[in-house]
Amino acid sequence: MFHNSSQRKHWTFNSEDELEQCRCDANQKFRKKTVESGKPVVSDSLILERHEEDVLFRHYERRLMDFCNAFKPVMPKSVVGTAIMYFRRFYLNNSIMEYHPRIIMLTCAYLSCKVDEFNVSSSQFGGNLLQETPAGQERVLEQILEYELLLIQQLNFHLVVHNPYRPMEGLLIDIKTRYPTLENPETLRKNADDFLTQATMTDAGLLFTPSQIALTAILNSATRAGLSIESYLTECLGLKDKETLSKTYESMRRMKNLLKRYGLPKSDEVNVYKQKLERIHVEFGTSSNNKRKRGYEEDGHVSKEPRLTEEYFTDEDLL
Amino acid sequence: MDDQGCPRCKTTKYRNPSLKLMVNVCGHTLCENCVEMLFVRGSGNCVQCDTPLRKSNFRVQLFEDPTVDKEVDIRKKVLKIYNKRDFDFPSLREYNDYLEEVEEIVYNLTNNIDVEDTKQRMEQYQRENRDLIQKNKAKLTREQEELEELLLLEQQGNEQRRLDLLQEEKRQLQAKRKSKQALLDELEQSQLPATILLAQHKVRAAQLETQIEQQKQAVKPTTLFSTGINLRQTVSLQAVPKIQEALYHYQPLQVETYGPTVPELEQLGRLGYLNHVRAAMPQDTAGGYSSALACHRAVQDAFSGLFLWKG
Repeated sequence: MFHNSSQRKHWTFNSEDELEQCRCDANQKFRKKTVESGKPVVSDSLILERHEEDVLFRHYERRLMDFCNAFKPVMPKSVVGTAIMYFRRFYLNNSIMEYHPRIIMLTCAYLSCKVDEFNVSSSQFGGNLLQETPAGQERVLEQILEYELLLIQQLNFHLVVHNPYRPMEGLLIDIKTRYPTLENPETLRKNADDFLTQATMTDAGLLFTPSQIALTAILNSATRAGLSIESYLTECLGLKDKETLSKTYESMRRMKNLLKRYGLPKSDEVNVYKQKLERIHVEFGTSSNNKRKRGYEEDGHVSKEPRLTEEYFTDEDLL
Repeated sequence: MDDQGCPRCKTTKYRNPSLKLMVNVCGHTLCENCVEMLFVRGSGNCVQCDTPLRKSNFRVQLFEDPTVDKEVDIRKKVLKIYNKRDFDFPSLREYNDYLEEVEEIVYNLTNNIDVEDTKQRMEQYQRENRDLIQKNKAKLTREQEELEELLLLEQQGNEQRRLDLLQEEKRQLQAKRKSKQALLDELEQSQLPATILLAQHKVRAAQLETQIEQQKQAVKPTTLFSTGINLRQTVSLQAVPKIQEALYHYQPLQVETYGPTVPELEQLGRLGYLNHVRAAMPQDTAGGYSSALACHRAVQDAFSGLFLWKG
């Protein structure tokens, strides 16, 4: 149940500003780290600005979505939703400059398969990295396993994600049962589904409860179809008094705004920032990674087979 | 203590906790198993000092030092012969000399000093004092019997006292019952008002009480129990103070769902919810699944947190 979940207690935030603040803090943290590392080549122009980070983040989120949709066997929607939610939660407190989103997104997908009881073996998962040679897939999988624990820790071990898909089913059942005024509720489903898919790519999941998102999806779909089911809210859901009703409409409005504001990043921008990101990871990321890996190897946890380089697969290889 | 063991098979108490050591007149130990093995024919020689021994004379070693066992054994034998008592002697001095002699004999026999000589001395003494020994033996057994008789008497006395006490209690109960019955009879038949009758009864009952009390005091003139505890010891008869505690009060679990109330699982069918979900397949129901479960969960999820606004 959502009402006593970790999602309500720890991962539902007050406002967009609060989320933005978290991301800025993560960005600042990384900046501070580069200064402390004391590398002479550091210059502020090298480091990504907040809005540049955001563009790249949306780019990789889109890639994650595409990867999940192309996944074979077909991934259930809730698994995709959980994966994207993990991705968002992870980069709420971490900068993409610190951990490369290319590997984190795959780790998110892998972990959400496990958590949401969508059983794929790791070799099956690797088989979906279409452009990779078998040896390359092996290496990526190894990396995924390496980042898995970090991801779980950064999620603060709150692995259960409440997606709006089941609430939407529940609402449809409830409408069919208690609101016979609406002739054919199934017609609302298509648009509502699209709304939910779009909502996963926004901060809606971090600001609103899954049932609110689902309700907004259905109402939005109804408005588009030229139907008015406002009376469902007042009569069946018991939204009688003005205040709660206005609050509900207010949150719906905010949610729709969020979706409206969303736009795919422009590819030329993405390319520019991506080059920057790669440079940063060559400068900083790899060194810290190597250090951690060496630590692992000293503990005898990982095989001591020598690694080639971090950059052995590119983004284009994934799909 | 740990190295206490059989000298023949070298088993120790440590290695075999159930080891039973036996000792014979010579004061040398053997374990039970060795005794069984060596003395199959009933007799044989001591492994350590070659003394001829009988199997029947073996007994369980009581003391850690086997020589103590031997001495106890010897002393018993010697005292059977040297059984004179202090009033058989004209003076204390002579009695002490006699005791000294007994000790010496015991010591000699235990430590194998002049064994032959000592034995001869004992035999001589036995021959000379045969009458006296017989007489003392008889006297000893008689004394033993008297002691037993005394014990028996004491036991009987105890039993008797217990019975008396029981009877006394019975009698008192009967008396009380009788007086109660008398009151009832009087209330039934007498012309006097009930209050007077009751008052009379009270007086009589009080008299009865005091009588019983007096009897009790007469029965028990002693003020001490046999254990030495004072008979009249005052025992606090006040009830143990009750501690007032607030009783646990069950309060039904309240869960805040931040949303409209969800219909109960059992009522989903009646309310018509189940008409809108896929019916459970026969193979699903084997595991306990019913379509109401899925439906209930969906509706719960739909309503949970619907009215939760942050910010």
